[in-house]
Amino acid sequence: MKVLLVCSGGMSSAMVVKSLINEGKKLGLEIDSKAVGSSEFSDEIVNGWDAALVAPQIRHKFKEFESISREAGVPIDVIEARGYSPLGGKFLIAQTKKLLGL
Amino acid sequence: MDKFYAFIENVFMKPMTKMAEQRHLKAVRDGMVSTIPLTIVGSFFLIIAFPPVPQGWKESMALFIWIQNNIGDILIPFRLSMGMVAVYATYNIGHSLAKGYKLDGVSGGTLSLLAFFMSMIPSVATGSDGASLGYVVPVSKLGGAGLFVGILTAFIAVETMKLFRDRGITIKMPEGVPESVARSFEALFPTVAVVILMWIVVVFLKFDIHNLFNAVFSPLTGLVDTPVGAVVLVLLITMLWTAGIHGVSVIGAMARPIWLEMLTANADAMQAGAENLPYITPEPFFQWFIWIGGSGGTLGLVIAMLFARSKYLKDLGRASILPAVFNINEPIIFGLPIMLNPFFTIPFILGPVLTTIITYTVMSMNLVAKPVILAPWTFPAPIGAYLTTGGDIKAVLLCLFNIAFMGAIYYPFLKAYDKKMAAQEEEEIESKGEVI
Repeated sequence: MKVLLVCSGGMSSAMVVKSLINEGKKLGLEIDSKAVGSSEFSDEIVNGWDAALVAPQIRHKFKEFESISREAGVPIDVIEARGYSPLGGKFLIAQTKKLLGL
Repeated sequence: MDKFYAFIENVFMKPMTKMAEQRHLKAVRDGMVSTIPLTIVGSFFLIIAFPPVPQGWKESMALFIWIQNNIGDILIPFRLSMGMVAVYATYNIGHSLAKGYKLDGVSGGTLSLLAFFMSMIPSVATGSDGASLGYVVPVSKLGGAGLFVGILTAFIAVETMKLFRDRGITIKMPEGVPESVARSFEALFPTVAVVILMWIVVVFLKFDIHNLFNAVFSPLTGLVDTPVGAVVLVLLITMLWTAGIHGVSVIGAMARPIWLEMLTANADAMQAGAENLPYITPEPFFQWFIWIGGSGGTLGLVIAMLFARSKYLKDLGRASILPAVFNINEPIIFGLPIMLNPFFTIPFILGPVLTTIITYTVMSMNLVAKPVILAPWTFPAPIGAYLTTGGDIKAVLLCLFNIAFMGAIYYPFLKAYDKKMAAQEEEEIESKGEVI
């Protein structure tokens, strides 16, 4: 599955991408993921992603991302706080699977 | 404490959500962000022109003598990038706002630029050799000082485009005309309107928009550049982060034009050879002396976490130390967590206020140089502090002091939290033991 993460500058979400991919490997899931900054989101979301996740620290921008994401037909959610840390991979996987209805 | 968090959520969340969607504010934010590479690269030519080496070297070593003699040439990239930052910002603000209205971005940016240039009256000038230079526009109006005029003219230009589109006043091209050609014709009427408007105001009525904006914004900039102004910004940012919201992204969207104006004013003063720079608190002030390791100055905290008794805190400390060196602290904001955690709210809010007061005081006494160079925010803070002050080694010492100071502020709170976490972990191990 392909999951796009967005945060303010694409820096902190890049680390969360790593924990998401590693956690996926443990469960035998093939995860393709990428981190972008808020301004790149609208250009990237159209490139065939299965789900989009918004970093919790920019949740005040969620509505904006949601409308862009809906246009592209991609389900989207705000990452719960405990999932947004290098040790939060299992929470993030659970949330992603729920979002994708797996 | 719960009431405090609920208060932050209630008071800030709604207006912030509105602000994030607000097109004009978003356009200004995009415009400011687009100038960052130019400002970083441009300001580095200041370091080359004014190398941080002892005065004796400048007089004896060939390289530095050459620099002294060619300083005007070395500063040209600076003058044409950071020195004209309002030009680049104006185009990008217009581009972003036009896209926000689903208008053509390039037309919006171009018309904004035209409106901005029309806010100035060129005059005929003669060069130092007496030859005519033709029509010239003062570069000073194209720099940080012209930023607010740039914002206003971009708004005027794009709002005019929107008005014409909404009223349906446009030249319709027949089908089959390429879209780019059709779009350029669509911009024709708004361009006429903007040119006439700007001509009447600036040329016919001789109304100087730049003077008006200087009169309005100089006091505001002065107000932001005080200890109280700096502390208020710091408080707003840390309070937002304790609710888990990116404080710098929210507050910076509004403060950045003022920060950039201060920074360019400092850079102008430096290249003019001033001993003392006018402003203390452009953005690098916060970046390299307050937000060391991320907002809340958490590098000292992460270092202390490495020695925690609790396994979770120790593991998190190890996983977070490298990002912390590069000023990324989301791992501990959400992992420790700092967000909505009563253990850390007090040091997270109070600590940066103290380092702000310390740093401001030290800089206002001219013990440490003021920030003038923009370095990428992911540099380790001592390096950033060295670069931003044009190579002041005392700035590195101040930065290191602030790291240790923040570590000391966090330490008692971390110790209490560590005790609780370690006790919990032991309990868990014991209860698992019973099951087996």
